[in-house]
Amino acid sequence: MDYVLLLQRIFDALFNSAIYSSLALALVIIFRATGLLNFAQGEMATFSGYIAFVFLVGPQPRLKGGGLAGLIPGVPLSVPLAVMGAVLAGMAVGAATERVLIRPLRNAPELSLVNVSIGLLLVINSLMAQWWGTGPRVFPALFPAGAGQNFNIFGARLRYSTIGVWALLFVVLVCLILLLKKTRIGLAFRAVSINQTNSELVGIPVGRVLMYGWALAAGFGALAACICANSVLLEPNMMLRVLVYAFAAATLGGLDSPKGALVGGVIVGLSQTLIPAYVPFIGFELSVLPVLIAMTVVLLVRPAGLYGTKRIERV
Amino acid sequence: MMRAISRIKPLQGVAVSLIAAWLVCLPFVSTTTELRQHTQVIIAVLAVLGVNIATGYGGMISLGHGVFVGVGAFATGYFVDGFSLPWLLAISMGIVTASLAGALVGIPALRIKGIHLALLTLCMAIVFQPLSKRFPAFTGGVSGKAIEARFEAPSWLGDSRMASAVYRYVFCILVVLFALGLTWNLVNSRAGRAMRALRDNDTAAAIYGINLVHARVVTFSISAGLAGLAGALQVVLVPYVSQDNYTVQESLVIYATAVIGGLGSIWGSVLGVIARTGFGALGERLSGMEGFGFVSEFFELLDEQAFVFGVGLIALTFVFPRGLAGIRRKNRQQTNS
Repeated sequence: MDYVLLLQRIFDALFNSAIYSSLALALVIIFRATGLLNFAQGEMATFSGYIAFVFLVGPQPRLKGGGLAGLIPGVPLSVPLAVMGAVLAGMAVGAATERVLIRPLRNAPELSLVNVSIGLLLVINSLMAQWWGTGPRVFPALFPAGAGQNFNIFGARLRYSTIGVWALLFVVLVCLILLLKKTRIGLAFRAVSINQTNSELVGIPVGRVLMYGWALAAGFGALAACICANSVLLEPNMMLRVLVYAFAAATLGGLDSPKGALVGGVIVGLSQTLIPAYVPFIGFELSVLPVLIAMTVVLLVRPAGLYGTKRIERV
Repeated sequence: MMRAISRIKPLQGVAVSLIAAWLVCLPFVSTTTELRQHTQVIIAVLAVLGVNIATGYGGMISLGHGVFVGVGAFATGYFVDGFSLPWLLAISMGIVTASLAGALVGIPALRIKGIHLALLTLCMAIVFQPLSKRFPAFTGGVSGKAIEARFEAPSWLGDSRMASAVYRYVFCILVVLFALGLTWNLVNSRAGRAMRALRDNDTAAAIYGINLVHARVVTFSISAGLAGLAGALQVVLVPYVSQDNYTVQESLVIYATAVIGGLGSIWGSVLGVIARTGFGALGERLSGMEGFGFVSEFFELLDEQAFVFGVGLIALTFVFPRGLAGIRRKNRQQTNS
């Protein structure tokens, strides 16, 4: 067995892992707090990706796209600023979604919430196709990813971009943990995640806290989209396949465990690259199949995943 | 069946006769292309009905029925060409294949419920398109595949294109009516009551002696079979299969149509498709209009089925949680309380 090649494949896989972990975190944050799987998370993320794109391109109407996007001020920004702007805009969209569409349905059956998130997926997807067209757009890399921009470890190339992406994710995670453990709002969010009714009884504004949760989740989604947009090109359906991997990652790690989302993302990223490489029948197109099967098996056999809490159903 | 007929309410009677009159008039006023498009609309009822059986009656959320439509279409094309089967047999094989695929999904659905099943079926819908490119022998790969066999009118009808179009139109209507009748009987039978029982409370259903495994798998295969039939009839109409037609958006629009029409009501599936067609026609009219500035942009969007149905899905969840077919039911409930 060629160990250098194996190491190289692992290094390559780690880049995708960061994307999956990030989007899986977004899904987990919302699921943990509300028990809702946000099927529109991927589309919300892609939308933020387009916002970053608009910030980057600046005043070039042909590239910028039509519709409401025309109202966004076209000042060409540098890449970090554009990404930050997109994350903030994405968070605003997330918060608004919670306030307008999700909060009124707090006591509605599960099916209603599924319907709203599916509706949202369809609406955002077609809005993006309408405003920016379905053609792929070139998106700059967040970190140097060109030829030769890598470390050489035992003969395998570890690209700067992979390290950069993980460093970025790490910094954001540290901020998240600090926010959750050290601030009042973080405490409130943890309380709401554990028990909504009791949180309400002790005077926590549950609705507003959940809104912050949605904003946080959308922020992680936006980050995932900005990382991903360079390697797969920005287009309206960009996040659909990524969403499958992210859902698989979240399920594998346990749908209500942020740690699980990170670990799940790494596992899914690795298996997406390694399984097709070593099982010839599974080509690139089928690479999603083992992941999907693993997800089904986890849901069947151990719905709590690796780190999730077991659900106890009252009969 | 007699009891079922006597249960039809006056309003429904009027609607049914209107639809019937429209169906009879159609072949006389449309060109072959228009007739084909109308037939495609009528076929769409089947796929929506499939979602309705699984989600509305069986309580298993399925966001991936486009997959079964695709499987039905691919299988029919494969059997009619590869094995030179007669059309009726090939269509049946299409239904059987789709049902088997449905049973495969139904088995995990035994334990995976609610939102997790929605997740699984959504993922299935997303990966179906890329996966089907991998098996070009069945699907024609990226570019799709033309089917050699044609579903032509018998010679005594003449061999004009119109005769064939009308023949296909009548055939599809008969098949759809037959399927609607079967489904109507099914949901009002012992099996249908079992479905609804396990939707509302599966523990109680099991206590009453319903075999959950059996009921769930059968429900899902029937619903997938209906979707497969829709796919098979698509091939009858247009002898061409391509993975391009089975996107996630398509699956979700089918689901949205079922929800908007009204889950748990066969009538609702028909209503949903009528609403879909109405909106489609309206959107087409409006999208051409220029000179309204910002509003024109919005009109363009109305031409996008996905957009209209996304908005419809959200709006209906808030206003009429029971869908179009449930508007009156909801009002009655309110006056009662």
